Amino acid sequence: MQHFPDSCCQTSNMNDSELINQILNGNMNAFTFLVNRYQKLVVHITGRLIQRHDELEDVCQEVFLKVYQNLGKYRNECKLSTWIATIAYNTSINYLRKFKKGDEVNPDDSAALRNLTEYRPYDFEKADLHRYLHDQIELLPVQYRTVLTLFYLEEFSYQEIEQITGMPEGTIKSYLFRAKALLKEKLKFVVDENSLKPVKEISHE
Amino acid sequence: MNKEELDQIIEKSFRTEFDFQLPVNFAQKITAHVIRREQWKTDLREYLYLTGILLTLLAVVAGFYYFIDKAFVFKVIAFISQNLIPVISIVFILNFIFFTDRVLLRLLFNRWSKT
Repeated sequence: MQHFPDSCCQTSNMNDSELINQILNGNMNAFTFLVNRYQKLVVHITGRLIQRHDELEDVCQEVFLKVYQNLGKYRNECKLSTWIATIAYNTSINYLRKFKKGDEVNPDDSAALRNLTEYRPYDFEKADLHRYLHDQIELLPVQYRTVLTLFYLEEFSYQEIEQITGMPEGTIKSYLFRAKALLKEKLKFVVDENSLKPVKEISHE
Repeated sequence: MNKEELDQIIEKSFRTEFDFQLPVNFAQKITAHVIRREQWKTDLREYLYLTGILLTLLAVVAGFYYFIDKAFVFKVIAFISQNLIPVISIVFILNFIFFTDRVLLRLLFNRWSKT
């Protein structure tokens, strides 16, 4: 295990394959840099799936330990971000199964719709619509949250999401569509013209 | 409100970042953890190699003596079988000291230095 104290500036300019080579040669600064580069991605995936802040750091740590242990097996068949996302996804799913939170294996839209909280029109002026929508996303079934995060937040393609989650492309598209439809269902009343003003303000932020 | 606007708002929410943030020194912590783990693995591997080499040497010497002086080897075996418990205890203690020196103390010093 080597430390390369002078190489921290060099690592910031490295592309992924150079970074991997450095790590495999024992440069731990390169690994620190890799963690910094991809920690946001890992937090987004694990955070949307697990939702418990007190356990997230441990799960993220587990993800990066797996990344380090398996780095030698990484073949440039996919992007490093896709590979790390796959590890993050599998680790989170295993975590959910381990702690028996895997009751959302087959998303049921009507149950999901019941789970979403009612939007109270009389609070509308004061409400933070973004916060409301954010909370509703957290209440969606785990598969919906996963594909939403990967597609919109991390901007992975359908093929990449397929690689990460193992879901067929059709299913991914269907989950994206259904997640949006569920949220729209809950926001239907926003069509009311009186309620439109604050929504417009938010959308033009 | 029209459909496009609603879509826009929902999609914007999908793109909103998760509000949890890892500690600033998260990467350094992970790296330190990996270094400790790798060090522990290396130490354990070294200990196992050295134990293996020692046992092999012992077996070679015993085999060598078997051809030169069979009686001596039988004497040693008889001595061991007569004093089985003390012999096992001494071997165990020596092995434990060796293990502590090569692996355990290094691991503990690593942890203490971290805290």
